[in-house]
This record gives sequence, structure tokens and C-alpha cells, in this order.
Amino acid sequence: MFDFKMPLTDALAVSLIGISTVILILAIIALLIILVSKIIRAIENAANRKKAVAAPEQTATAPTGVPMPAGMNQGELELVDTDEKTAAIIMAIVSDKSGIPLNRLSFKSIKLMEDK
Amino acid sequence: MEMISDVLSGLWESSGFYALFADGTFLWQNLVMILVSFVLLYFAIAKKCEPLLLVPIAFGILLANLPGAGLMDDPTGIMDTSNIVEGAHWYDAGVLRLIYAGVKSSIFPCLIFLGIGCMTDFGPLLSNPVSLLLGAAAQLGIYVAFVIAILLGFEPNEAASIAIIGGADGPTAIYLTGKLASHLLGPIAVAAYSYMALIPFIQPPIMKALTTEKERKVEMKQLRKVSKVEKIVFPVVVLVICAFILPSVAPLLGMLMLGNLFRECGVVERLSDTAQNALMNIVTIMLGLTVGATTNGQTFLQWGTIKIVVLGLVAFAFSTVGGLLLGKLLYLITGGKVNPLIGAAGVSAVPMAARVAQTEGRKYNPTNFLLMHAMGPNVAGVIGSAVAAGFLLAMFGGN
Repeated sequence: MFDFKMPLTDALAVSLIGISTVILILAIIALLIILVSKIIRAIENAANRKKAVAAPEQTATAPTGVPMPAGMNQGELELVDTDEKTAAIIMAIVSDKSGIPLNRLSFKSIKLMEDK
Repeated sequence: MEMISDVLSGLWESSGFYALFADGTFLWQNLVMILVSFVLLYFAIAKKCEPLLLVPIAFGILLANLPGAGLMDDPTGIMDTSNIVEGAHWYDAGVLRLIYAGVKSSIFPCLIFLGIGCMTDFGPLLSNPVSLLLGAAAQLGIYVAFVIAILLGFEPNEAASIAIIGGADGPTAIYLTGKLASHLLGPIAVAAYSYMALIPFIQPPIMKALTTEKERKVEMKQLRKVSKVEKIVFPVVVLVICAFILPSVAPLLGMLMLGNLFRECGVVERLSDTAQNALMNIVTIMLGLTVGATTNGQTFLQWGTIKIVVLGLVAFAFSTVGGLLLGKLLYLITGGKVNPLIGAAGVSAVPMAARVAQTEGRKYNPTNFLLMHAMGPNVAGVIGSAVAAGFLLAMFGGN
């Protein structure tokens, strides 16, 4: 009745093996990505820690928009895995959004957060 | 007087109107295809439907169906042995036939993959590797369509070429069809690109049917930042793993990953710029034009073409279903942290499928932002469809 160019059972087997192969290969890649990411992040974290030990505490002074009132201290800002440029941008954004001048704001620390 | 008559007669006999009735047969199919090209040009220019692809494809259809113009003639039988002319040289072939060598030899699809690699950010995929499984599940349609095509009486190599439409990846479909069943290249390429353009209409009803409103409203956690080193290592690792397991996937995946390395390594910006702009545009013109030119009326307007177009839609729909079902499974496993809509983006059409997931998600939760989460499965789909093509090539490439 039907003129199949390939037995149906063979076609089903090819399909099953085909989709399994695709899933398997992509699953292997996913596992490798997780593994490689962990290794790279561990190496990068170790390098960052070494840097931190070499240059004890990286500190930056909060930028000011207007002159500091007499007798007031800007305090010290601790930067963790954050460069000064990024810190300055963050402080400027907080100041702008909150409407509080920079010389009235006190930042204790700015730390890079990552999903572990 | 006799000379004038001879000249006029010669002019008439060399005209397209005369060729339309050559050998006493009216070539109505060519006229129909010319009309089809006009309709496609209208959609591309007036409605702006995928104009970058549709304008060259439509114009290729027009050029190939001009009676007597012979732009796809192959007198030496380089690719088509049905009309060999004694004593002809390769350069006597029609100009589009010569350019078509880039499709037949797989140069164009591979170069397109190079450009895609340069334009693709695998960051969302690297920050959420589970996306790869969604990209794999969304290849389901390929294998469902393969079985149905066998049931409809297609040869296995033809069935494999038709099924790859479900991968929603034009260059991959052209690459595989060029290798396995080049006589079907026209309908398969046209179907693949048409459905890619129609994703915003095909996917939403399936997404709505297979997911609940609660699932569609799920907001996903922000993706982690991916380091530059991870992005540089990724293309090399993926290529090595895939090519060792399935060597037939190396041409497509190799070019994709080379392009991505150009993008991420940061030391060859000129090459990256050329690959994703100038080269990509040049190859798109040549690929579109010659793919359109394969739709000669006599071979295109057949019952088989309609079957291919319908099978392509089936493949596309089942691929969407596969991605959504795995998305639902991940939703259950993670306790509702994964929005199943991103599974539909696993069909590789980048970035259209991801945009559809974003649009559908926002319909039910206006504060939801799924685009970056959907880009993961979306780019995984590109790898998935290339692997699926490599598998089918390994199975039927020897036929």
C-alpha cells in the first residue's frame, strides 16, 4: 500500500538516535562550560587575591560636587574588585537619583557582586 | 527586403516571447514564477518582510524564469547533466549558474556562519549553560518531520534535507540540502527562510497552547557576568568537542566559532568588522540571488514542493513544541524559576525567536524582561541545528 524508501522502524531509530545525539553533545558542552567557567573564575579570583595582598588596601576618595563644609570628613571608601572609574560612576548615579549632593553622601564600600 | 525579414525573424526567434512557446510547449510555469517573484518583491519592499533576503531571492526567481535568458544554463553539466552541449566550456554557463557554485560547494553557507559567529554574543549561554538543553530539545521537529517525510515516500536523503527546515536556520538548511538533495534546494531554502520570517505568527499560538498563564508570568533571575577569558575559550572548546564527536559538523561549526573568536579575542577587530558587515552582505546577495534562481518553474511547481512546504511547517511547529516542553520540565524541576517561553527560542532563528519569547512574556507580565534569557537557548539552537545537520550528513552523506 505504501512505498516507503526506508523501513519505518529504521526511520524511527534514526530519529531517536539523532535527537539523542544532539541532546548528548549539547549536554556535554553544557557540562564543559560549567567546568571551564569554574576553573577560569577560580584562577581569576586567585589572581585578584594575589593583587590585593601585593597592594594592601585599594582606597579611593569620594568625588565631591561642591566644596566640603569646614570641619567635615569625606571618610574612606573601600573598593572590592571595583576600579576607581566604576566607583565614581556609581557614586555619581546614586547622588543623581537620590537628589543628595555627593558631599552629603558617605560611601563605606563598593563591592562587585557575582552569582556564585 | 529579404535581409530585413531575416533580421526581424531572427530577433523574434531569439526573444523571450518566442522561447515561451519553444518546442510547441507553453512554459506557463515560468510566467507563474515571475508573478510569484513580483509578489515577493512587493512583500519585501512595501511590507518590509525580511527585505535583505527577500529582495535578492525574489529577483533570483525573476531572473531564472525569464524565458531564453539562460542565466542558470549549465551546458557542460558541471552541476546539471540534463542539458549538456557538445564542445561547451565551463565559462559558457549562465552567470547565476557560475555564482551558484558557491552554494553547491557549501562556501556561501559556511561564510554566512562566519558572519553569524562574529555577530553572536554567547554570553547569555555561558552564564546559563542549561540553555543548551533547550536548544537541543528545539531540534525535535527535525526528527519528527524526517519520519513523516519517509512516510510520504521521500528518499531518506530528501527526507533529511526537508526535515532540517525544522532547525530554523537558513544556511544550515542550504548546506545540508546542497550535500544531500540539491534538486530540492529551491523549495527547501524558500520554505526555511519564509518560516523564519513568519516566526512571530507561527510560535505564539503554540506557546499559548502549551503553557499556563502562571508559567508565562515567571520572572527569571538576572544572569551573571561572563568574563572575557570564558568567552574566548568557549568557541575553541565547543568546536573541538563537537568536531571530535561528529566530524561532519566541522565546516559549519568551525566557521561559526572562528567568527566568534574574531569577535571575542579583541585583537582582530578589522577581520571581525569585515566578516560581519562587508563579507556578510556580499555573500547574502550571492546566496539569495542563486537560491532564488534554483526555483525554475518547470521543476518548482510540482506536488512535491507543496509537500515540502507543509512538512517544513510541521518541522517548525514540533521544534517549538520540543523547546517549550523542556522549558516546562525545567520550570517544574527548578520550582518555577525558569519561564518555559524561553524554550521556544531554541529554534535557532536569531534573534527573531528570542524577540518573540520576550514579546509574549511581556504580554502577561509587563515588567518581565526575557530577552537575554531567551538569547541563551536561541544561540544554543544555532549549535543544535548544526549538530543535527552533521548527524544527518553522517547518516546519509554517502548515498
